[in-house]
Amino acid sequence: MRYLLIFILCLPFSVYAELSFKQLEAISTTPEKLQGSFKQEKYLSHLEVSLNSSGTFSYQRGLAIHWYTLEPIQNELIMTENSIINRQGDKELVNLDGRSNPAIALLSEIFFAVLTAQWQQLASHFELSGEENGKQWRAELIPKDKMINQFADKIVLRGDSLLREIVLYESNGDHTTIHFDDLQ
Amino acid sequence: MNKQFKILKSLAIIWLLFVVVISILAMQRGTGFDSSIMTLLPKSQQNSNVQNATQQMTERFSKRLLLLLSAEDEHDVRQAVAELATRLATMPEVAEVTWQVNVDELTQSQQQSFPYRFAVLDPTVRAQLLNKDFEEIKTQALLNLYSPINMGQTKLIEDPFGLFSVLSLNRKNDLNIQVSHTLLKVTNSQQPSYLILLTLADDPFSPALQNSLLTVITSYQEQFNNKGIDLTMSGMLLHAAVGAEQAKQEITTIGLGSLLGIIIMILLVFRQLKPLLLMLFAISIGCISATAVTIMVFERVHLITLAFGAGLVGVSVDYALHFLCERRVRTADTIMSKIMPGLILGLFSSVLAYAAQGFAPFPGLQQMAVFSVVGLSSAWLTVVLWFPLITSNDQLSPLIMASKLDLLRQKMPRLEKHPIMIGGLLLLLVFLAVNSLSKNSNIDDIRLLQTSPAHLLEQEKAVQQQLAASSSSQFMLIQAKTMEQCLQKEEQLHPLFNKLVATGLMGGYQSLSAVLPSLQRQTENQHLVTQLYEHKLENFYDEINLPQSVLLDAQTQMKLATSQMLTPQIWQQQLGHTMWQDLMVSDHQQGAATLIRFKGELTQDAKQQLQVLSDNDNEVLFVDQVQALSDLLGNYRSEVINWVMLAYLIVFLVLFMRYKRQVWRIVLPPLLASIFTLAVLVQLEQGINLFHLMALILVLGIGLDMGIFLTETRDAAHTWLAVSLSAYTSLLAFGLLAWSDTPVLHHFGLTVLLGLSFIWLLVPLMRKEQTRRYE
Repeated sequence: MRYLLIFILCLPFSVYAELSFKQLEAISTTPEKLQGSFKQEKYLSHLEVSLNSSGTFSYQRGLAIHWYTLEPIQNELIMTENSIINRQGDKELVNLDGRSNPAIALLSEIFFAVLTAQWQQLASHFELSGEENGKQWRAELIPKDKMINQFADKIVLRGDSLLREIVLYESNGDHTTIHFDDLQ
Repeated sequence: MNKQFKILKSLAIIWLLFVVVISILAMQRGTGFDSSIMTLLPKSQQNSNVQNATQQMTERFSKRLLLLLSAEDEHDVRQAVAELATRLATMPEVAEVTWQVNVDELTQSQQQSFPYRFAVLDPTVRAQLLNKDFEEIKTQALLNLYSPINMGQTKLIEDPFGLFSVLSLNRKNDLNIQVSHTLLKVTNSQQPSYLILLTLADDPFSPALQNSLLTVITSYQEQFNNKGIDLTMSGMLLHAAVGAEQAKQEITTIGLGSLLGIIIMILLVFRQLKPLLLMLFAISIGCISATAVTIMVFERVHLITLAFGAGLVGVSVDYALHFLCERRVRTADTIMSKIMPGLILGLFSSVLAYAAQGFAPFPGLQQMAVFSVVGLSSAWLTVVLWFPLITSNDQLSPLIMASKLDLLRQKMPRLEKHPIMIGGLLLLLVFLAVNSLSKNSNIDDIRLLQTSPAHLLEQEKAVQQQLAASSSSQFMLIQAKTMEQCLQKEEQLHPLFNKLVATGLMGGYQSLSAVLPSLQRQTENQHLVTQLYEHKLENFYDEINLPQSVLLDAQTQMKLATSQMLTPQIWQQQLGHTMWQDLMVSDHQQGAATLIRFKGELTQDAKQQLQVLSDNDNEVLFVDQVQALSDLLGNYRSEVINWVMLAYLIVFLVLFMRYKRQVWRIVLPPLLASIFTLAVLVQLEQGINLFHLMALILVLGIGLDMGIFLTETRDAAHTWLAVSLSAYTSLLAFGLLAWSDTPVLHHFGLTVLLGLSFIWLLVPLMRKEQTRRYE
């Protein structure tokens, strides 16, 4: 009986094993194409307010991520591995080219890698910790590079075979949560 | 006769004493050698601000060494960068190693700039504000708020529209560098490449520094190569080191080779040591007195003067050889009267040709003229005064080689015997040559003076291109009474530059006012932002449901920020200013100057527009060192042509007075040889430049001597031997330079090689059929 209790207490620890990028690669799948909807909450700590938005997204691996914010304002963000284009309707608002702007290059590279679960690429920029339980996993990414700290102190990812949630923590206490639904 | 001999003897001794005295005097003055191309510029062309700016840029660039490491494996390169950089940092020859970025400093620098966020604006934001596109700025701010990617921190009260984020995001480095894991990574490269930037502690021309630094780097380079890591470099240091090495090598191979060839030939022909020693004696006296007098007159001898002035050696050998060959068939008391007219005319023609260059208004040419004229005259005087004395007891002993060479000459057809065939052939050749010359485009590119081998220049170019480094030799200098006026002027120029960039005529530019706008511009910017707040701030907060209190806070923050201006004094205390401080040339009571740098190579169109700008505005000066120096070479070239042509016209008249209608036999061979040589050069090289012409003067000098001496002795076999030997020695001494890796020497050498070969073939064709006598 006593041994059973110990066994039960130990259970979560033995099942939620330490996580490596290799394991993540084994668990999660990165389909060629994926689309779905998202809900985003940006929390601004010094004003204690949250800004909520939602929309849909789609990506094609290796090509581009389309990020359509529908509420409260409409906007389309197109990310490739080296550029970020902001569009409203047919109007191109901002076009940031990573080739001439190193900060943008880094930013889009990381965001691209996070969304499409390119663990190899993330491994070069982050230290990983977290746990997995069969199909569920939670990964905490701490930047190796202080440059990345400028826009994220810590990134937490949750998912099963697909990525379900991203939380980006900033050094000033702000954080952004992105939740994915209807993935197909 | 004895009395005459005594006079000659005392004159000879006086001459030698004179050479000794002048040499001692020159030595006491100290030998200053100069290799700076700037000292060849006519004085009035240089403006002190331009000089300062150029010097500042040159100094910065010459002390900079860029090392680029790349490999397939990211990890390997990064490790190699750290290893090499740490080692280099310990060396006393290195003043500074830049290879990693301190993120804390970066953050600190941003904090220092934040208070001026409304005074210094991103150019696109400013354009939007000027256009009253307030709605667009507000929309953009909202989009950023809801964007999944955070471009800089959200500061909804201090900077609700995120103007500072846009500014810091768009501000670029002057190199194509991205900070990756604190190291400097090159963007756009195929393999992961990282940069190490060295600042040398001393002049890159210092041999000690070259030696110790390059030894260390080369050993790492080999070590890295084995691991598949590529190390490329760019910097003056490499060129300086290679230049020294190359010169040393060429002197030992080409120089020794030709000297050996000359010695063997002279010994073979004369089968005695004495003629060789005499020849060297005359040449040495020529060189010594030329150097001494040039030092006395000009203080410092330019290395170019030495290089080209040495060409006179080839001509001065003529006098010595003519005497020595002739002496074999004539006694000591009859020889001088026989050969004196030829020697005088020979000296006259060469001295005139070299002296003519001295009339050109360029210090470089004047120096070369003095050097050559003194050198030639000294060698000549030595032959005339000393040779009869030293050889007074020598027996007559005709040279076998003279008769052999003479037989060979006999076999050459004569123009007068076969006027149609040879004349026709020559006419055809002249026609072809003129045709080739008509396609000539002169090359006055200063890069001709570039002495570095091609592979080094390619490596340099590749590194510079990868980094998109800005040019050190082309820039715009802005001069005004105050710094504020300079900055305002720069701002006036921005629209034109932006147009050049937009139309692809210019790669980009860097100006101080981009990071430090004029106070006038800052006030204007603050005013524009105030308008934005008035129109859109309340609206913006409403859309994201923020309370009234936030609006009031934001307005207070705004008032605080608009009361602050970024003055040059404050700017110079900021951490981030060091990267741009070179753009500030001077800021004194007497006046201020700034410069605008351009990225990559400017297109011809862009250069033209900048030149027009510079011509029409006296506060703006477009400085193109490469062009200025290339123009200078072009001017030198045309001046040289004009003066030398005039000189030869005079020579022709004098020769005509003595030789009457026979003058064509003397003048035509060098003339035709020059035309042929130039024609071949046009085909082989891309065009004719100053250095070809300088060599041609030497060719002409020897060619005329040949004709004069032969005519004077009526084509004696020994004269033919003398002039042939003279052509041969010059061919060996200078013609071999055609194989030099140094462009200047190569041009010079090739011209001599071609020219002398043509002359040697042409001269016999034009000779008169003489009743043969063996002398």
